[in-house]
Amino acid sequence: MQLQEIARVLRSKNAGPCLVTFDLIFDRSEDFERVRSQVARLRSEVAARYGRSENEVRVIDYAPAQAVKITIPRDIMSGDPGDRDVYGAQQHAPLLEIEV
Amino acid sequence: MSAIERLVNEFSGGRRRPLRVLGASGQLGYGIPTPALNEGLRRNPDMIGCDMGSIDIGPHYLGNGTMAPTRVGAKRDLRKVLKAARQLDIPLIIGSAGSAGAAPHLEQTVDLVREIAREEDLHFRMAVIPADIPRDVVKAAIRTGRVHPLDTMPDLTEEEVDAASNLVGQMGVEAFRRALEAGADVVIAGRACDTGIFAAIPIMLGFPAGIATHMAKIVECASLCCVPGGRDTILATLDDEGFDLESMAPNRAATPSSVAAHSLYEQADPYEIREPAGRIDLRNVTYTALDPRRTRVSGAAFEPAQRQTIKLEGARSVGHRALLLCGAADPRFIARHEMILESVKAVVRDLVCEDTEEDYKLFFRVYGADGVRDWGAAPDPLPREVFILGECIAPSAQRAEEVVRTTKQYLLHHGYEGRISTAGNLAFPFTPPEVVTGSAYRFNVFHLMEVDDMASLFPVEIEEL
Repeated sequence: MQLQEIARVLRSKNAGPCLVTFDLIFDRSEDFERVRSQVARLRSEVAARYGRSENEVRVIDYAPAQAVKITIPRDIMSGDPGDRDVYGAQQHAPLLEIEV
Repeated sequence: MSAIERLVNEFSGGRRRPLRVLGASGQLGYGIPTPALNEGLRRNPDMIGCDMGSIDIGPHYLGNGTMAPTRVGAKRDLRKVLKAARQLDIPLIIGSAGSAGAAPHLEQTVDLVREIAREEDLHFRMAVIPADIPRDVVKAAIRTGRVHPLDTMPDLTEEEVDAASNLVGQMGVEAFRRALEAGADVVIAGRACDTGIFAAIPIMLGFPAGIATHMAKIVECASLCCVPGGRDTILATLDDEGFDLESMAPNRAATPSSVAAHSLYEQADPYEIREPAGRIDLRNVTYTALDPRRTRVSGAAFEPAQRQTIKLEGARSVGHRALLLCGAADPRFIARHEMILESVKAVVRDLVCEDTEEDYKLFFRVYGADGVRDWGAAPDPLPREVFILGECIAPSAQRAEEVVRTTKQYLLHHGYEGRISTAGNLAFPFTPPEVVTGSAYRFNVFHLMEVDDMASLFPVEIEEL
C-alpha cells in the first residue's frame, strides 16, 4: 500500500528556516500502527528519496493525532539564492508513493 | 484603572474564575472575518491577542524592513481589533508587529495604531516593545561562547552580526508582562514568541505556565486547529487544570484529533514547546471532546530552563534581483532544455562580462520539470509545456536587469541542435517579460543566545494616546 492511499493528510512545511517537516496523519488506527511499526524502513526510504543520510532523518510517532512526523534538513535554507520553495509546502511529493 | 489592573485586582484576592482569551487573528493584515470576531466579542472575552508575524515568510521582510501584508490591509485589521478592545475595555496584545518585528516594522505598525486612534477618537495607554538586539551585545555573547547555532546553521561570526540589515530577538512572556504591569491597554511588540502574546496575562493572574503556554501556542493561529481549519477568531476558556477551545465560526469544529494534529504544525517536535524561560512538556496532554465543536485540553507541564535564551533572527542583503518570465511548448526545446539553458548562460556571461568579472548569479527554474524540487532526473513523459523562470541576483538592480534582458534575447533565438521552430523559442505572456523586484536577502542569523537580563534587551516604551 502506498502512503498516499492511506494517509488523510500528507504535507510538508518548514520547521524553522533550516528544516522541512512532513506530517502523515491517518484516519484508521491500523494504518497508523502499520506505518509506526515500519519506522526504520521509512527512515531509509526518506533518506534515499531526499538524498540524505539516515541519521539526518528524524521520525517521531505521535499517537494523539495518529500521526507520524518526519523531519529533514532543507537542501537550501529558506529564501536563500536558488531556493525553490520558501515555505517548504510542496516538498512532500516524493513521499506519496512509498510502500508500507 | 486600566483593564489589566482591574483583572489583576479581581484575581489578587485568590479568587479564581475561568479566563476567556480571544485569538482574533494568526496573520493580522490579511483580513479578520467579521462574523466570527463579533461572535467572539459577544462572549465577553478578558483579552484579545493577535500574532502578526513569522519567520516562515522568508528573509526579505526582515532584511528589507517591509510588512508582508499591505498597509491598507494591516490598518483595516488593526482598526477592527483596536475598536473592539477599547469598546470592551480589555487588553489588546499584538506580537511580531509588521511581519518581522524589527524597528521599521514596529514603527509602521505603531504609526497605524496612532492614526486609527486619532481617526476613531480612541484613548489608551500603549506599550511598545522593540525587539532589535544591539550588535555589541550579540558580539560580546559570541566572544563568551553564549551564542549557539540552531539546526543546521554555522557558528555565528561578528562579521555576520554586522552584515545583518536587521537583527531581532524573540521576546517571551517576561517582556509582555512588564508592559502589562506598566498598565498598558494596548501592547505592540516587535519580534516575539507567539506564545508570549497569549500566555503573559494568564501567567500574571496565576494560571499554570504549562497550560497557559500550550493554550497560547494553539490560539495564536486562530481557528487553524479546527476542522476545517481557517483564520476565524477562536475562544479559549482557561482554568487551572486545562482549557476549552471553540471556534467562533459555526462551521469549524475543534475536535480532539484536529487540535492534537495542530501540535505537529510547523514544529519539528510535537511533544514540546521551547520558550525563553523553559520548555513545555506535552507528553501527557489529553484532548477530550466536550461536544462536536469544542475540545478540552489538559496536561501540559512547564519546566524552567537552567539558562534563559532567546532566538536571534537576522537577514542580510545578497544583492538585487531581476526576473525573466517566459514559457515554451516545443517538444524538441523541452527535451533539450537543460543543455540549452547552460549554453545560453555561457553566451550571456561572455557578453555581459567582457570587461567586468562574473559578479552575478543566474538561476533557471523550469516549471514542468524542476521548478519546485531538484528531482535529479528529467520528467518522463516530458510535459507539454514548460514555464521558465529566470532569476538573476547581482550587485545592483541595473546589473541584474542587464543580465536577464540579455538572457531573454539569447534564449529566444538560441539555435540548438534539431531546432525547427526558428522564429523564436519562447512565449512571453506580456512584454517586457523582465521584472526588477528589488533587494534580495538571506537569513544569516538563526541562533540561540543566552541572556541574563531580558529587561535590558526588550525595553518597554509607554505612550499615552
